Amino acid sequence: MQPPDIVVIADADRERRSENATRLAWIGAAAIVVLVLAVQPFRNTDVWWNLALGRLIASSGIPAQEPFSFLPAAHSWIGQQWLYQVTLAGLVGAGGAGLASLAMGLVAVAAVVLAALSVPRSARVPGPWLFLAMLVTGVVLTGVVGVSSTEITVLGVAIALFVISRWREGTSAAIWGLPPLFLLWANMDGGFAAGLLLLVGAVAWLRPVSPANRRQLAVALVVSAIAALANPLGPGIYASVIAGVVDPGAAAHLAGWASPNFHDWSARLFEAEVILVLILWTVSGGPDRFSAIVGFALLMATFFAEENLGIFAIFVAPQLAVHGARAWTRHVAPRIGHPRWSAPRHVHPIASSAVLVAMTALMAAVVVPRLSASAAASYQATNYPEAAAGYVATHFPGQRIYTIDTWGGYLTYRFPNDRVVFLYDQPAVFGTTALDRYLAIDQLQPNWIHVLGSEHIQHAILPADAREAAALHVLGWLIDCYDTTSASMVMSAPAPGTPLPATGLLIPPPGASTC
Amino acid sequence: MSSVATAVHERRSGFRERLDSLTAPSGLFIAAVLIILALPVTRTIQDPDFWWHLRAGQLIIQHGGLLGNDPFTYTVPGNHWTMHEWLNDVLFAIEYAIGGMGLIVLVLSAVTWAGLVCVMQKARLRRPGRGALGVGMLIAVVAGFPIWGPRVQMITFAFAALTLLLVERHLMRGGKAIWWLVPLFLVWSNFHSGFVIGLGFIAIILVAELAGGWLHMPDPASTARLRPLLFVLLGCTAVSMINPNGPTILLYALGTQTSGAQQSLIQEWFSPNFHDWEVLIYGAMLLALVMMIVANRHIRARDAALVLVTGTLSLQSARHIALLVAAATPVFIDQLAMATPRLRSAVRRMRRRPATPQPAVRVQPPLLFRATASALVVAALGGIAVAWLIPKMQVPAYSLVYAREFPVCAAQWLSGAPEPLKIFNQYGEGGYLSYKLSSRGDKLYIFGDAALMGDALLYQYAKVETAQPGWDSIIRNADTDVVLYDVNTPLADLMEHSAGWVKVYQDSLSVAFVATDKVASLHLPPQPAAYPPNSVCGQLAKTPPSGGAPT
Repeated sequence: MQPPDIVVIADADRERRSENATRLAWIGAAAIVVLVLAVQPFRNTDVWWNLALGRLIASSGIPAQEPFSFLPAAHSWIGQQWLYQVTLAGLVGAGGAGLASLAMGLVAVAAVVLAALSVPRSARVPGPWLFLAMLVTGVVLTGVVGVSSTEITVLGVAIALFVISRWREGTSAAIWGLPPLFLLWANMDGGFAAGLLLLVGAVAWLRPVSPANRRQLAVALVVSAIAALANPLGPGIYASVIAGVVDPGAAAHLAGWASPNFHDWSARLFEAEVILVLILWTVSGGPDRFSAIVGFALLMATFFAEENLGIFAIFVAPQLAVHGARAWTRHVAPRIGHPRWSAPRHVHPIASSAVLVAMTALMAAVVVPRLSASAAASYQATNYPEAAAGYVATHFPGQRIYTIDTWGGYLTYRFPNDRVVFLYDQPAVFGTTALDRYLAIDQLQPNWIHVLGSEHIQHAILPADAREAAALHVLGWLIDCYDTTSASMVMSAPAPGTPLPATGLLIPPPGASTC
Repeated sequence: MSSVATAVHERRSGFRERLDSLTAPSGLFIAAVLIILALPVTRTIQDPDFWWHLRAGQLIIQHGGLLGNDPFTYTVPGNHWTMHEWLNDVLFAIEYAIGGMGLIVLVLSAVTWAGLVCVMQKARLRRPGRGALGVGMLIAVVAGFPIWGPRVQMITFAFAALTLLLVERHLMRGGKAIWWLVPLFLVWSNFHSGFVIGLGFIAIILVAELAGGWLHMPDPASTARLRPLLFVLLGCTAVSMINPNGPTILLYALGTQTSGAQQSLIQEWFSPNFHDWEVLIYGAMLLALVMMIVANRHIRARDAALVLVTGTLSLQSARHIALLVAAATPVFIDQLAMATPRLRSAVRRMRRRPATPQPAVRVQPPLLFRATASALVVAALGGIAVAWLIPKMQVPAYSLVYAREFPVCAAQWLSGAPEPLKIFNQYGEGGYLSYKLSSRGDKLYIFGDAALMGDALLYQYAKVETAQPGWDSIIRNADTDVVLYDVNTPLADLMEHSAGWVKVYQDSLSVAFVATDKVASLHLPPQPAAYPPNSVCGQLAKTPPSGGAPT
């Protein structure tokens, strides 16, 4: 006697739930590992001026002009990232640097998880391949994640990918979440334009379940583009984004907009990922048109500007999973005698839960110490001129300070009032003239002494190996104090008539007091 | 028809067919490409290392043997000098004695062009269409723009291209020609340590074909042809050790790849900067190549391995773009030929045009007309190439062209000093200064053989060049007499304002300083008040000061 059909259906249902649970367990495990990689201290130097601005906006609104520097800025303040800055200030205010690091770490994890969930369900990619793809993505992202608005764009791209993936499968309700996403995104980071371009690509090159779905996505795209206008710049936001991309001045002087340096380990990891994706695409039957066009466009964009590396890594994460599994099934598994990946499709729920709990405990043991106030304070003292800034605050209040551009942001955080800061990484606001004045001193161009004098700069906070320090010493500037923890020093202009030194500056400066 | 008449008839038909082919538009296109290839690779000598190679060659001939130690510096005179390019240096000296700079420019340009011809011949083995062949070669020669020029590395480029050609011919057709690699490597290992790249290419191809066979990749080479290739590799490796430096030469080239100082301080070892228009074409070629590989999904194991290795090397250091051109261009052409039919049908679909059937009869102009027209076009292009080459050959060493790049006038002034000097110099000018001043006994701080200088000295030099704290004591501790540097550089500006240094010379390119406490004792000649207006230095005096160049 045959069992009733309802039992067969129930069995298939249970099988599918078990498969999904196993897959989610693998994703959960990968997410835990990625969190360990993604929680970073304040290593991005821009975090400080973003923090200072967030506090300013929270107290008195978005400034109309640049608020921290004594240099005249060529352009009005671009308040496009105000929501990110206010959120950052709120997180630091609520829980210190540790909370901000944890929050951005979770943002990166969310991006990687969503990228994994963007894998088409019809591809039935086994859990281990999702785990591997997420792990590779997390490792590649290690060089770029941290407390930075770029991570917001990485998350936004992952969300857009996830929505597109569901839309392809016929679930078009999620696309109506895109306009509010872009509304928020456009007020946090200029990378929202990448998300819009992704949607344009999806409309143009993806084949949905029905033509009506394509029209829906097109409408959602237009509404999202309009929603992005709800930001302090209004319609000018698109011109601002385009100018930020094509302006050669910005490209020359912003590290993120330079081509990758393939001597660095982070660029080498990116290179390895590119090679892996290309090999998998080639041996597994090739990508669809949308993936190929967008993937190669992002590759080109990353060669042009390393800043795009995060977007590329997120976009290719589902490609790694799908094509890796396919390549294994077609080429490797038959040779080693297993028709499919041999790991069981179903993991016992208690066993998987136990493993996840153990991994979480291990992750907490690694990550929690990083989030402590003492760890943040130690990092700040070592990597930023904390002691030197304290010395200047005590001995030279309200006086103009020269420093290198990567420390300029930190000084805006330490000295948000009185306009004592020279310049920090906002070339679009400062303009070419201000940038040239900074470069004249930084690169010891022929007019550097004139610039120094005309800006009435009498004090400087500099790294121990800065050429400006050697140059100022030649002019007779004195070393007020030296901080061994951060290898930084405070220098001040000499009194008129002070004899010039006959020999050069030595580090550590002999006889200098501690900051 | 008799058998003799038949043979003559067949030979005439074959000749006629070949002539038809050469005078067809596609044949003319390839001939034009061959000539155009010569243009970008023909330049005046811009390699700063050329000068010390020339001087080293002259010294080798003078002494009748290799120099055990470096004769040019006062900083590392005890370092053993691995003169891995001794044969090239000697040839430079001989060519210079016979024909001056012009002969060297001609020879190196011809060598580079020959390398490109080898690349083209390798691509032709796969019988691509002439369109793909010509377009691919033009893209490749433009992609290599950042690195072309008369320099020793072009010999390695040409030999690498020849190696790849011979290996491919062997794998496709067999035969004994592959054994010509053995004497080639005997010569190559005495020209430049880049012969290791050639050995690496052969090894990569062997491993790739073995792996490709296991992976069932398309068009594998016959196993019967892999065994002789292995023996050729062993033979080449063995004869490579027949050089004045012995077997240690095999490890020498690896030293540059693993030197942190060279990789981080010397500009040509930097990764390509895709904001530089010269590098964009290289980037576009690399990207287009991988796109075509993914689209065609048909690539031989050895091709994939060569693209992978040279692509990775070229992304790491711009100087390896030459290797990518040598190894990946035939693959690019092959993939382009595979993709062309698909591209044509895609264009037709976009234009909504059906495929047009081939016309039954193609009416061509008479052969005499075609031959005459072709000859005229080739002659015109050849004339352009010669007109491009001749001026490059006619630039002498003592000329405004070189005075704008190298301290010609400063060296002339320094040669008037009564005693030999210890000169702290710019890295990229060490070669020229060694050529002009070493015969006087003057010594330099540094010159362009980075492996000889060593990482420690390179890092010290970098601190001074970037004017970091400690620059002054580094210069003084080395017992330097004179600092000669480019104007408008951070170091020059620093010294200009330093109370411990006095400026003693300046022209449009260079400026010289002496420590305050040494000026009186050195008895340097005064700065010339004026130069004859038509002299090189007189003309240089009229040019505005340069911006200062990085090394």
